[in-house]
Amino acid sequence: MIRPLILLLGLVFTASTMAPPVLAAPAIEVTPLSQGQVLRGRFEQLRFLQGFQNPLKSSGTFFLAPGLGLIWKTETPFALTTVMSPGGLVQDVGGRETMRMPSARMPFMSKLYAMLGGALTGDWEGLSTAFNITRKTDGKGWRLKLEPTSTDDPAMPIRSIDLHGSRFLEDVDLIKLNGDRDHLVFLNQKVESASPTPEESELLARAGQL
Amino acid sequence: MTRILALVWLAVVLLAAGYLVVRVHDGLPLRTDLLALLPREDQDPVLQRANDTVSRALARRVVVLVGHPFRDVARDAATRLASDMTATGLVNPVIDALDGSRLKRLGTLYFPYRRGLLAEADRALLTAGHGEEVADKAMAQAFGVGGIADGNLLRADPFLLLPSFFADLPLPLTRLRMDDGMLTVTDGDMTWILVMTSLADEPFALDVQERLVGAFKISSAALQAAHPDLQIRRLGAVFFAEAASRTAIGEASMLATASLAGTILLVVIVFRRVRPLLLNLLVVGVGIGAALVGSLAIFGELHVAALLFGTSLIGISVDYGLFYTSSVFDPAGGTPQERLHRVMPGIAFGLLATLLGYGALALAPFPGLRQIAVFSVIGLLAAVATVVLWLPRLDTGRQARHLAGLLAATGWMFAFWEAPRWRRARSLLVLSALAIALAGVVRFHTDNDVRRMQALSPELVRDQDDVRRLTGTTAATQFLLVEGVDDETALCREEALAPILARLRAEGALVSAQMPAGFVPSAERQRENQTLVRTQLDDPFLARQRASLGMEADAADATGANPSFLTLKEALASEAVPMLGDLVLAPGLHVVALQGLTRPDAVRAAFAGVAGVRLVDPTADFSVLLGKYQQRALLLTALSALLMFGGLAFRYGWKGAGWVMAPPVIAILLAPALLMLVGQSFTFFHAMALVLLLSIANDYAVFSAESAAARRSVTLLAVWMAAMTTLLSFGLLAVSGVPAVHNFGSTMLIGILLAFFAAPLASRGRRKTKASPVHGGLAEEVCVRVV
Repeated sequence: MIRPLILLLGLVFTASTMAPPVLAAPAIEVTPLSQGQVLRGRFEQLRFLQGFQNPLKSSGTFFLAPGLGLIWKTETPFALTTVMSPGGLVQDVGGRETMRMPSARMPFMSKLYAMLGGALTGDWEGLSTAFNITRKTDGKGWRLKLEPTSTDDPAMPIRSIDLHGSRFLEDVDLIKLNGDRDHLVFLNQKVESASPTPEESELLARAGQL
Repeated sequence: MTRILALVWLAVVLLAAGYLVVRVHDGLPLRTDLLALLPREDQDPVLQRANDTVSRALARRVVVLVGHPFRDVARDAATRLASDMTATGLVNPVIDALDGSRLKRLGTLYFPYRRGLLAEADRALLTAGHGEEVADKAMAQAFGVGGIADGNLLRADPFLLLPSFFADLPLPLTRLRMDDGMLTVTDGDMTWILVMTSLADEPFALDVQERLVGAFKISSAALQAAHPDLQIRRLGAVFFAEAASRTAIGEASMLATASLAGTILLVVIVFRRVRPLLLNLLVVGVGIGAALVGSLAIFGELHVAALLFGTSLIGISVDYGLFYTSSVFDPAGGTPQERLHRVMPGIAFGLLATLLGYGALALAPFPGLRQIAVFSVIGLLAAVATVVLWLPRLDTGRQARHLAGLLAATGWMFAFWEAPRWRRARSLLVLSALAIALAGVVRFHTDNDVRRMQALSPELVRDQDDVRRLTGTTAATQFLLVEGVDDETALCREEALAPILARLRAEGALVSAQMPAGFVPSAERQRENQTLVRTQLDDPFLARQRASLGMEADAADATGANPSFLTLKEALASEAVPMLGDLVLAPGLHVVALQGLTRPDAVRAAFAGVAGVRLVDPTADFSVLLGKYQQRALLLTALSALLMFGGLAFRYGWKGAGWVMAPPVIAILLAPALLMLVGQSFTFFHAMALVLLLSIANDYAVFSAESAAARRSVTLLAVWMAAMTTLLSFGLLAVSGVPAVHNFGSTMLIGILLAFFAAPLASRGRRKTKASPVHGGLAEEVCVRVV
């Protein structure tokens, strides 16, 4: 009797963007990272592009330090490192910097960073200003659908984002306005109370200085 | 004969009055455009046009920031304020942001020409033979997290050169971001929304200012009443212009009232009769009325500044009336015609000298000053005609004797300059005057910085600073002007500037620059780019790129782009490119906007030798120009003095002319010297005051020199009243809050006092020649010609 009521309340609250959806936290939830904690794991990404017969496939590791940034290290099909921070984005191919962009120049990337960072660490509140959030829970975990609050924002060329997980975020489906779609799967996620390695610190610092 | 002339004059005055009634009934067309008062750059029409176009575009901007702790309240209030302002029909909303539809148009414009458009970094890599890096970068975007590449774009542009070019577009960075269709900045706990509009009309028409600023004030007051936490900041020439005109009109009416009231009081106290007052009011009224009619007929409109300075005419035109009406104190008495005859030489020579002074104003290349000069010349001629033709007929005045005390005082002033017993005091005075002049010369410095000559409303300046801080705009008023025979030449020149600008950026002289070539490269550059793409990317890497991306070999997509070049004309016509319309003034005449300019001198020096490029600094250029015209005004004063001296020598002999010139010369030398001593800097407006001072002081000197020994104290009484009325008009300008007007007024104030005090010196000039009927006849001849 209690459970459907909470679910209903959750829907009511999440429909209004001002109310923090965590109020209606389901039983299985991403544990928000506490101060000093970092998250590591592997990812697999399938990118389905309009007019392409096969998806672009890539995989690698990721590292997230809340507030500092996200390091996205693609290992296959080639070595590619993308570092996103609140300050901007840096991209290296084979150890050579190919892009450096302050977030003011790339509003979409800074939104993406906010979205991914928020979703991976369970910080839903940060997402609620840009997205309408609908949530479903079943026995195995939870499912979240994010839809941009504004439809004509060039910084948000996204139709919807589907997130699925239980203790961790497990997979993401990001559908763009033009029909292109990214499917992301996250594996082997670990919360650590360790500091970033010197290499990671250096990467984060480079992106943070933009 | 004079009776017929008087009737003719009556007919003219009545006609003019009729015309004035009709024009006033239709509404007086008042102009407040301060630019009209500015000197025209006479050497370079291109620069002038560039300056005009840029300043007009800037002057039309109306920017408002609406802030509230709650985002929704701020957005609603901004929407409301924008619609209230647009409802006046005076402004159009400006969309300067890249919203969705504008981005689409931008993409549509550039897409066909993508093979000729390269970001600076890509171009450098390709030129250096590093095509592989460009290809890798595209791969990174295609495979990387959250790539911006979409399928269609990737097929048409496998190296993603166009997104790179877009990211490289030289848009000025601001703190504003697009939030659901509105440019927004959050600062602390406040959310600010930008409302940007552009005036459909010039901001300097008084009714435009009043209607728009009025609508703004009503709307913002209503919004602030509804939301007490709402804050509103505004920026735009129209707000400054409205505040300035409000001050100017307020000051003008205050000064005119004080001037008129003071003059009336003076006349009543001195004459203790009503008729002289009425006669002098008649002179002033006809003078001002004729001046209004003449200016309206000649210029079709009136400038507020002409009105402000023109009302000072009250004080000058009344001089002639006073000189005549004071003759009732003449111990010799006589009929009105006889008395007119006695003062006629003074009036005639005085008028000649004063017209000379105003004529000099008309020579200054300032349209506004020209209007003031025409206004004044017509007014003075009409006033003198009234004195000569009407006053003796309307005058029933008998001899008056009630001013014995005042006459004794003025008599004493003569004695001071004549009597042997005052010799030592005189020497002392002359020595101290010399000392003051020397000290003034030592401290003499000029400062024509135009920013220190206007009184800007402090509230508006604060708003302006807030708007700049909140939006992070660092646009400089200085800009680079690029000239070429056509757009292509100008674009090529800009591309040649890029390395110099990059060096200046590295040195910290500026933050960024926006040039048309940054949005539309020259055809030459586009051709080079196409070649680079073909030889450095397509030939070596296209097949590999397609294979890695899993694309079929669909040659048509990659090379199907338009082989011709994007032209500036097409880009302008699309109206999709932000800023571009402001940067292209005319074919071949472009502007390079500068952001965060910290060292204009370094920039000026860097482009000193570059053909077709120069740094334009409107403020500094204008200050330099004012300095130049200040020199000319001083030259004009010296020239007028020499001319006067020649004319006076004809009548008084060389030595006599020297004495008659003494009071005006003392006034124009000592007045600025004294002002320098109290810490003022010499400006263009001081110099213009000296031009006027010379002719007024000369009036007083001639009046003194032309009076017989027996009438001297009466003459000096007239000069005293004339000086008083001039002080009540020009001298009052010294209280103005506008530094330029204050400078003018304080020079007049001190100069007139000096001229009055020194006036008796001029009578020494008369002693050398015996007064004779011949001279009286000559004077009459002159005045008949003048009238």
